[in-house]
Amino acid sequence: MVRFKNRWILVEFLPLPFPNQQSTTLNSKQIYAALKQSIIVNFGDAGWGAVGSSLNVKYFSPATNICIVRVARDPHRIAWGAVTYLSSIEGQKYIPNVVHVSGTIKHAQLAAIKHNREVVARYRARSNVGSNSYEEYLAKSTAEIESLQD
Amino acid sequence: MFFDLNIPIPTLQPLGPSATAPQSKKGKAVAKQTNAQQSQLFFSPVQIAAIENRVELLVHLGYSVFAFNQAVHKKLDPKTHQNLAQTLLSQLKRRPGVAFLKRITIILDEDSEKGFGLASASASIFSGYDIIALTPTTPGTLSLACLTHSQPSALTAHVISLPLTLPRLPFHLKHTLIRTAKKNGAVFEMNYSGAFGSDPDAFETASAATKRNWWAAAREVIRVTKGKGLIVSGGVTGEADLRAPRDIINLITMLDLAQDLAHGTMSKEPQALVLRARESTHMCLIA
Repeated sequence: MVRFKNRWILVEFLPLPFPNQQSTTLNSKQIYAALKQSIIVNFGDAGWGAVGSSLNVKYFSPATNICIVRVARDPHRIAWGAVTYLSSIEGQKYIPNVVHVSGTIKHAQLAAIKHNREVVARYRARSNVGSNSYEEYLAKSTAEIESLQD
Repeated sequence: MFFDLNIPIPTLQPLGPSATAPQSKKGKAVAKQTNAQQSQLFFSPVQIAAIENRVELLVHLGYSVFAFNQAVHKKLDPKTHQNLAQTLLSQLKRRPGVAFLKRITIILDEDSEKGFGLASASASIFSGYDIIALTPTTPGTLSLACLTHSQPSALTAHVISLPLTLPRLPFHLKHTLIRTAKKNGAVFEMNYSGAFGSDPDAFETASAATKRNWWAAAREVIRVTKGKGLIVSGGVTGEADLRAPRDIINLITMLDLAQDLAHGTMSKEPQALVLRARESTHMCLIA
């Protein structure tokens, strides 16, 4: 038996206008709906047929706007292209930035944790506020990402 | 290391009456020293802040080399021309690990077929830029750009930027023509902003048709260049259409280009181009 192969796409949504630090009220359901719409608009029914059965928004963190999307390996470029074409979700404009694409969830998690750390370091450098809340947040989000299961 | 070799410079309103001086038809004959005394244009603090923000965003997305692009329509007039890229660079703050380049693009139409100012008389103007690019919009200007202006010299056109958002490509891309240009060291450029429906050269307003035209024309360019001697840059005017390099590379692979070649269009090819452009200007200084 050959196992079913996936791609895990780690996306960061940058709210516009940049730089914009406010946390958004998105949830993974809305992202899934927007992604579905984008696939149908840009790749048609055949595109959605190829991707739809395996598409899954696994994780979304409203604080850093990081999102992990799972999709079957063969049509993963369609899903990736649709993510690139995603310019607004629920009326708010975003720039999607694919940080990492990996074959196992483990490496998507590692990349997410690393990316979180970089983003937090950037916020900290910009705002010069006490670092305790950031540390707490980092620990919390790291635990959250690590608890993700296949 | 990723390159975005087309960041449009916002247009400036000319200040003072001297900028509207009468333009003589044989303007390219003499580049007068009095140019320098003409009204100098500067970018307002608001514009500079916007561009700084743009650069910040591009760095976040993973780019590290940028070329600021000054577009000139029809022909370059040496009397009234001002190097806006130079002005802009002198007003931007320096960043470690990020390189800024100056680029000029002349957009050619039927009126440009007799000459558009890329001649030795105005060599001093072009030496102020790192990259010289041409955008042909007619069959005549395409062959001019591919045959005449890709010859190695101080005034080589390094980049031939193709208009991809027209309903049809305005010319047939012939293999012989393209091959000659590539042999001479010129590269072809696609601007990805058309894929998101916005148009760098404002041929028409943003629409779904623009996107479709872009995909059709881009496929044609890929077919004829086979992905070699091809660069992909931004040309993005609005912030919302900026994308990370790897996302664009993925879109390019959807045009049936192999992954390594697609990756090269944003890293290896532009890097080679920048080095070559620098070398050619350097050689000219010696000669």
